[in-house]
Parts: sequence; C-alpha cells; structure tokens
Amino acid sequence: MPGTVAPQKVDQPDVDEVVVPARPWVVIVWNDPINLMSYVVFVFQKLFGYSKEKATKLMMDVHYKGKAVVSNGNREQAEADVSRLHAHGLWATMQQD
Amino acid sequence: MAARFRRLRRGGIQAHLETAEAAVLIQLCRELSGLLPEPGGEPAKDDPVVARLFPRAYLDPTEEEAESDWQRFAHPDLIEGRRQAVETLLRTLAGARQHRDALEVTLTSEEADAWLAVVNDARLALGTRLEVTEEMDPARFDPDDPATAPFTVYWWLGYLEEHLVDTLAPGTHG
Repeated sequence: MPGTVAPQKVDQPDVDEVVVPARPWVVIVWNDPINLMSYVVFVFQKLFGYSKEKATKLMMDVHYKGKAVVSNGNREQAEADVSRLHAHGLWATMQQD
Repeated sequence: MAARFRRLRRGGIQAHLETAEAAVLIQLCRELSGLLPEPGGEPAKDDPVVARLFPRAYLDPTEEEAESDWQRFAHPDLIEGRRQAVETLLRTLAGARQHRDALEVTLTSEEADAWLAVVNDARLALGTRLEVTEEMDPARFDPDDPATAPFTVYWWLGYLEEHLVDTLAPGTHG
C-alpha cells in the first residue's frame, strides 16, 4: 500500500467514468468425508506453493469448519484454481467475496 | 497389505505391490475409465459418482451461463487428464518387474503423480458409491461378510494413498 501523499488538485472525473473495482472472487474448498487430510495438505502445497503450516491450517478449517477460502483473484484466476482443485479431486467452488 | 513406495537415492520412486494388489488396481482403473465420458462427451450428470469427480464451479444458480462456459472450457482438460493418469498407471504397471508374488516398478515424479491421481479418483468414486462417512470404523465391519469386501478395497486405497503422499510430500525427501 502507498504511504501518505500530499493532496493534489485533480480534475473531477465524470461520474460515468468512475470504475467500480470488481469484487474479487474467492475459491472455497468444502469438507468431504473421503479425501485424506494428508492429501489435502499435499494438494494445497503443490498447487499454491503454501508452506506446510499454512496448508495444514487451511485443511483443518476445511475439516472442522466445513470450508476454507484457499485463494482469490479475478474471475479467470478463480476459475483456473477451481479447475486445478477439481483435477486433484477436491470439492471446490468459487463466489464473489 | 504389503504395498510400499519409497524415494530412491538415484531419483524416482519405487513402487512395490503384491500381484493381487496390482490386479485390484488394474480393475479399479477399468472402472474409473468407464466413468469418464468419450472424447468430446460430457460427464453424466445423473450419476452421483461422476458428479463428485466433476463438481460445479459456481454454487450461485444465477451464474448458470458462467458455469456452462467454464464447463465447456475446463471439462475436456479434466477428462483428458484423468484418462492420461489411468493410462500412465496401467503402462508403468505393465512394465513392472515380477518378484515372486510381488511387482516392483520405478516411477518418475510425473508417473508417481499419475498414480496418486488415479488412487485418489478411485477412492473418491468408490467412497461416493459406498456413501462412506467420516465416522465409519473399519473395526466394526465383519471381515467374513461379503458386503465388507468393497469397504476393504476402499480402506486399502486409503492406506496406499497415505503411503504415496508421505513419499511424495515436500520435506520428506530422504
């Protein structure tokens, strides 16, 4: 994040030109009774490069809370992550945050 | 149950299976192939096992168009990836060395990944078909009851997968 900058006079933008930032999409992995805990940790590390600690924390959230947000991004990035998770047999969905 | 995997110093992963275990894996590969649609086809939506292997990306019913677009784009690769993993397992197993009642084969990392993918998919398919729950206790099943047999295969797949993950997981390179 940028630090404090001196206020500058800027032209007021035309209201029609204001771009509403797209809400990021989140990728959620849901608990299921079949996938092994060790396998889920392995997949989170392999696909997202997460540390063993972070991957284990996410797996525990999936297991005990029923779901966990494992990644986020624009729609295309989220769709790609969902595809990769499905390729590994994890039950993943995406939605806007 | 004597299946074993180990990472070799010279590279690669050695898989060691009893002949009977290899026969079960081959059978599971055939069943898994039977669940995959033909090239260009779509996964059968009315089968809960197929639905588990190919879940929706969007839960939101108002995203039906995005879901269709995503499926059209993603499903061919997902189907082809699964088909190739099955082929890799069958091909490597066919090239295994026979040692008395066991088979031994050295896998590359990519081949071992394919084994893991097939074992996990087979376990997902069987577990969904058997409607397993997390509370299920193997000790409470009667081993002499014929109805127990598919559950025994399911637990064996779990044992095999646990061992394979242990061998492949980062930080366990010996």
